[in-house]
Amino acid sequence: MVRSVPTWLRAASVVFLILTALILLAPLVVVAGASFSASQFVQFPPDGLSLEWYRKVLSSRDYLSAGWTSLQIALLVTASATLIGGAAAIALHRNQLPGSQSLSALFLSPLVLPTIIYAIGMLMLWSSLFGPVTFLTLWIGHTVVAIPYVIRTTLAVLSESDPFLEEAARTMGARRLQRLWLVVVPQCAPGLAAGAFFAFNVSFDEAVLSLFLRKPGLTTLPVQIYGQLEFSPDPSVAAVSTIMIAITVILIFCIDRLLGIRNFAET
Amino acid sequence: MPAVKLDAIRKSFGKVAVLHGISLDVEQGEFVSLLGASGCGKTTLLRIVAGLESTTSGSVHIDGQDVTGLPPEDRDIAMMFQSYALLPHLSVSENVRFPLRMRRIGSREEQDERVKKVLETVQLGHLAERRPRQLSGGQQQRVALARAIVSNPKVLLLDEPLSNLDARLREDMQVELIEIHKRLGLTTIFVTHDQEEALSLSDRIVLLNNGRIEQEGAPAAIYDRPATEFASNFLGSANILPATIEGLGGTPVAVLADGQRLPLATDEPVRGDVRLALRQEDIHLAVRGDGPEALVRTRVYLGARSRYVVSLAGQPVRVLAPNDTVFEPGQRVSLAIAPERIRVLAR
Amino acid sequence: MSDRTENLLLILPGLLLLALAFFLPIFQMLALSVSGPDGPTLQHFARFLGDPYYLGILWRTVRLSLIITAICALIGFPLAYIMARVGPRLRLWLIVIVILPLMTSVVVRTFGWMVLLSRSGLIPELLRDLGLVKRNFALMQTETAIVIGMVQVLLPFMALSILGVITRIDPRLEEAARTMGCSFLQTLRTVILPLALPGIVAGSLLAFTLSASSFVTPGLLGGSRIEVLAASIYGSVTQTLDWPFAAAQAVILFVGVILVLIPYIKVTGRSHG
Repeated sequence: MVRSVPTWLRAASVVFLILTALILLAPLVVVAGASFSASQFVQFPPDGLSLEWYRKVLSSRDYLSAGWTSLQIALLVTASATLIGGAAAIALHRNQLPGSQSLSALFLSPLVLPTIIYAIGMLMLWSSLFGPVTFLTLWIGHTVVAIPYVIRTTLAVLSESDPFLEEAARTMGARRLQRLWLVVVPQCAPGLAAGAFFAFNVSFDEAVLSLFLRKPGLTTLPVQIYGQLEFSPDPSVAAVSTIMIAITVILIFCIDRLLGIRNFAET
Repeated sequence: MPAVKLDAIRKSFGKVAVLHGISLDVEQGEFVSLLGASGCGKTTLLRIVAGLESTTSGSVHIDGQDVTGLPPEDRDIAMMFQSYALLPHLSVSENVRFPLRMRRIGSREEQDERVKKVLETVQLGHLAERRPRQLSGGQQQRVALARAIVSNPKVLLLDEPLSNLDARLREDMQVELIEIHKRLGLTTIFVTHDQEEALSLSDRIVLLNNGRIEQEGAPAAIYDRPATEFASNFLGSANILPATIEGLGGTPVAVLADGQRLPLATDEPVRGDVRLALRQEDIHLAVRGDGPEALVRTRVYLGARSRYVVSLAGQPVRVLAPNDTVFEPGQRVSLAIAPERIRVLAR
Repeated sequence: MSDRTENLLLILPGLLLLALAFFLPIFQMLALSVSGPDGPTLQHFARFLGDPYYLGILWRTVRLSLIITAICALIGFPLAYIMARVGPRLRLWLIVIVILPLMTSVVVRTFGWMVLLSRSGLIPELLRDLGLVKRNFALMQTETAIVIGMVQVLLPFMALSILGVITRIDPRLEEAARTMGCSFLQTLRTVILPLALPGIVAGSLLAFTLSASSFVTPGLLGGSRIEVLAASIYGSVTQTLDWPFAAAQAVILFVGVILVLIPYIKVTGRSHG
């Protein structure tokens, strides 16, 4: 802890940390706890212990199809956002295009603009141009929202690499594509990978776009859960939610391994 | 035929002119230093030879071939960067092999052989499979050197490669550079702001100032006979004193601002108002003598020697003197300077 | 191929996607908000701004967002300061604790609060057992529930915004202040707080826009009687299917968000430059 801090303040900050951690984690703990309940009702602390609700989820047609939709979209978004965002980040990092600074701000704007505004515009534009929304609409929408994450992680990694690597490669005879593939991409790799995990997470957990762009047969997992919550949630919702939390935990672990979660948090 | 021929090179970044028409020939196997303060254009000039920077006008020839419009990958050069620019995702041996791979020199086996040999030259054979990150600064620097010489380039370009090392390692590396240069005979252009480095390594020093060549020549020549105030200041940081030269026909004498006189070498041709360049190690102090008088202001103890600042003709003058006789601040001293060690610079 | 061509080729897919799939939709929303059966009209805006019901929704949105933002800042600043000054191991754990909720779906988190705040949930039970509230006390479907839920959703944004600024403050400044006779709390007030201000402002602006534009948490915790602007937009899109009116409400939200984001970009731009 901080040196030369009054004792009462130290004690207060310990209590403060515990309370804050409690507020931040309580909903997740409660959901996970309720998912193991043996009773018919969602409750915490759980009444008895069983895996009944997980069995129910894994045999539910609705959950499985929503899960499959979510997984497909998340994987496609991971690929498209990493590819498009990674390429853009490399160009932005080189800082040679006119207005590079404003271009960076432009690419990060989906991050600060509330998704509901974008979602409503996307729904209206797509409907007026192509009619009912499709799988493709959601894919594009999630990609736009995920790209800033890839750009941020890639730029963070690139800004720490030796700025003379590309020039050095030139003096060693490396041509344009060789430089890109053998020098620049390996430098980006940890950032691209971390960005890919972020992109997957953003898409897999995204609710706002998915709610606006939903239609029968195009229901993602968060939308399916939302629908349940509007009526009468049973512990199977808790089971699905717990699975989603577990996936997030795994993703955070991967990102930490690749980039150091601290790096991400402080950029 | 010179290995590198630069002809009237001009370079501007936007409206700012950095190089004002530089012409320079570097002979085969020669070690030439571009010496100057930061911002004098020395690195830009090196990057123009490498092809990393285009010229505004003028031409670059390497080995008789006009390469002015060629990108670096098409020039037979190698360059060592200040930051070393080692590829962090490749091992030491893969880094050293990189130029051979890119320039398609030799078969895989021949490449292995050359990498092995050059790594032994720089005494890194045992670290071949390490990553650059796992090496010390000095070791990284050797890898960068190995990578620069492995392809046996027509010209080796060194951009302040020693500036990130501590003093001790830098001296070791200087010796190593001299030996490798002697052994391989590579034409080398070396950029530095460190006059000692330039003096100890080069066959020839090119002193740059504000995008122009101030003076060029062998280290001893340029050190002993600086042609301008800038040159005498930059190499050895001389004291500059205004004076008037008298003695038409006979032995010329420099008259200082306060009327004190300094005899000059007999063949000094300049007359009238001049500046004198006096190196601090050429000035000798004595309690009594027939030279000009000065007042000791401060003394800084440096171990084997002391640095004094004395007041001569109203000007502060730095003097480096051995510690066998010690002078205290406030003491009056007499200066002795060998006439042939005084450089007379036209105003 | 020149360097510029290469960079253009690299950035072009992203630029095209951004232009066609991000800025064009926003433009379409703007256009739709002023469209009527007989050409351009401002009737949708007039309807919103002339109806006390909708003005009430707007006021509630602003009021709740301000409360939520203030609470986030009050908790976020000490949290970020402690995170910046504890040892590396504890800091890593704290960062994970902050990031885990941030990366969990908002639907899941809201569900957790529904369980905790429901009539038979842990928190009302606890308050009843302690005798602090009456027997018929309820938290769900109240503004308090919305505030609790949203603070948990937005606290990570706030804490990370401030943390980014505090980690860049030289800890020697604090030591210097202490040697000049400041107590710990004085140091915090005279050195850290002013230097962390850009982070607090940036975090607050971000929290405010996100709070004003969310509908999942307010909708599920506050119910249909306590409507906020974003929930009203969602209703217009999915239930009454009045898209031009939905667009007009979204434009009002958009204008508010832009007004808040302009200082945000200035503040973050300065602290990064």
